[in-house]
Amino acid sequence: MTALLETRGVWQRFGGLVANSDVSISVGRGEIVGLIGPNGAGKSTLFNLIAGVLPPTQGSIIFDGEDVTRLPAAERCQHGVGRTFQVVKSFETMTVIDNVIVGALIRNTKMRIARQKAYEVLEFCGLAARADKLAADLVPSEKRRLEVARALATEPKLLLLDEVLTGLTPVEAQTGVELVRKVRATGVTVLMVEHVMEIVMPLVDRAIVLNLGKVLVEGKPTEVVRNPEVISAYLGDRHAVGA
Amino acid sequence: MDTQFAQRRRRDLIMAACLAVVAALVPLFVKDVYVQNIMVLTLMYAALSQSWNILSGYCGQISLGHALYFGLGAYTTALLFTKFGVLPWFGMLAGGAISAVIAMALGYPCFRLRGHYFVIATIVIAEIALVLIQNWDWAGAALGIDIPVRGDSWLKFQFTRSKLPYFYFALALACIAWFVTWWLEDSKWGYWWRAVKDNPDAAESLGVVVFNSKMGAAAVSAFLVAVGGSFYAQFVSYIDPESVMGFQFSLLMALPAVLGGIGTLWGPVLGAVILIPLTELTRSFIGGSGRGVDLIVYGALIVVISLALPRGLVSVFSMLTGRKEAAR
Repeated sequence: MTALLETRGVWQRFGGLVANSDVSISVGRGEIVGLIGPNGAGKSTLFNLIAGVLPPTQGSIIFDGEDVTRLPAAERCQHGVGRTFQVVKSFETMTVIDNVIVGALIRNTKMRIARQKAYEVLEFCGLAARADKLAADLVPSEKRRLEVARALATEPKLLLLDEVLTGLTPVEAQTGVELVRKVRATGVTVLMVEHVMEIVMPLVDRAIVLNLGKVLVEGKPTEVVRNPEVISAYLGDRHAVGA
Repeated sequence: MDTQFAQRRRRDLIMAACLAVVAALVPLFVKDVYVQNIMVLTLMYAALSQSWNILSGYCGQISLGHALYFGLGAYTTALLFTKFGVLPWFGMLAGGAISAVIAMALGYPCFRLRGHYFVIATIVIAEIALVLIQNWDWAGAALGIDIPVRGDSWLKFQFTRSKLPYFYFALALACIAWFVTWWLEDSKWGYWWRAVKDNPDAAESLGVVVFNSKMGAAAVSAFLVAVGGSFYAQFVSYIDPESVMGFQFSLLMALPAVLGGIGTLWGPVLGAVILIPLTELTRSFIGGSGRGVDLIVYGALIVVISLALPRGLVSVFSMLTGRKEAAR
């Protein structure tokens, strides 16, 4: 079967700054793929390109067999790309369930069904008890889960998770890991950006390492962490010698 | 929780129906023309503010130029009636339709602006329109239009002997604006608008076409405000640019919603019921000095309310019931 997502020679320049240069990656159906790399490696930019926040300067993005390079974010969502934001963007004045209903409405036109659907997603994400709270009143880890719930309500084929596990306590992070596994079990493909190696590595099937806007290596997580180039990108050349 | 939500919606609807019936009975006991006049204005501003609230409260696109649509409604009706003999009822619909189209035409460039820049654009555009009308000879220019009295009739929507028909029409208008809001609140549009207000980027990522959402809100909002303008033209039977398109109308539409609770279902009604009588009463009781004491009192009150209850007067009710979401 063809890959669910493919980027072909994608470039993104912001003025003189090259955030992504010639990035070609592919994500297969049902995979959990980790996108890692040090700060400023271009991970978030690549995410935004895949989510359709901005079109790439050059290159193309193929999703589910279709060229979606020029489609805006809302239409990518329609095609089945769901995303979360690194800095949570809850609809603060709305209740938790209303937040999720916004996502559910893209696939359900009947309000009653959208509400029902939203409630199911909240249960799936362990937020059902908070359904009638204002999003502003959630604690940070709950807000992260709300981001995931909202994206799941759009019934994505591909879920883009932008640092949903970062900044959580170990227990919260573990709950997050289990949620990601559960999501994959429902048949959703996951592409996740993470900083915290020890959390991501056991979770992902494959890791893609970006550095300075380019794909540095990709492969099985166990291989990737031993790769001298990866170690040098993260820790500097001195540490890579011993590997 | 599903039923709880449905219950709350039903409770709102029943409450509105009860209030409408009570309001409809008031003129049976209050015969004073001055008071009736205040009641008509209160209901009209409740309707206008409710309509303004759709674009600015729910969708978060603060407009301080809605006087434009108010004026368009008034002028369309008055011009169609005086120049072509078209009945005000059709003028009302025409005014609404024209306003909705113009709102979208203006929204096309303006909705690319965010925050303060959008607000400034709305003010400037309304001011430009005011100047244009003031210099448009065919439409009476600065002198305005005198709507000829052709006898009391519902058909021509003119009543010289009694204010009651106006009262009931204003009541109907307020009810319609409220009901439209109520209905839209639990529709796709209602959710989209609130999402757009809270976070346009997140909304876009969830499949909400932000631009179209704003256009929809602008059209509905402008249509309803224009109908209010048409009504006003018939009510005062004489209009000139400043008296239907002046900046004060933009403010008077926004204030009840802001004080009552912006982006809430009951805010505009509550705000109008308190604010409009207050405006009129301070004007007639302490405005006579000519020193603007009424405006000082009025302004001070607005400052006090907005400091004490930043989420609007409706938040008092949610405080009483101890539930935050009731403020919606």
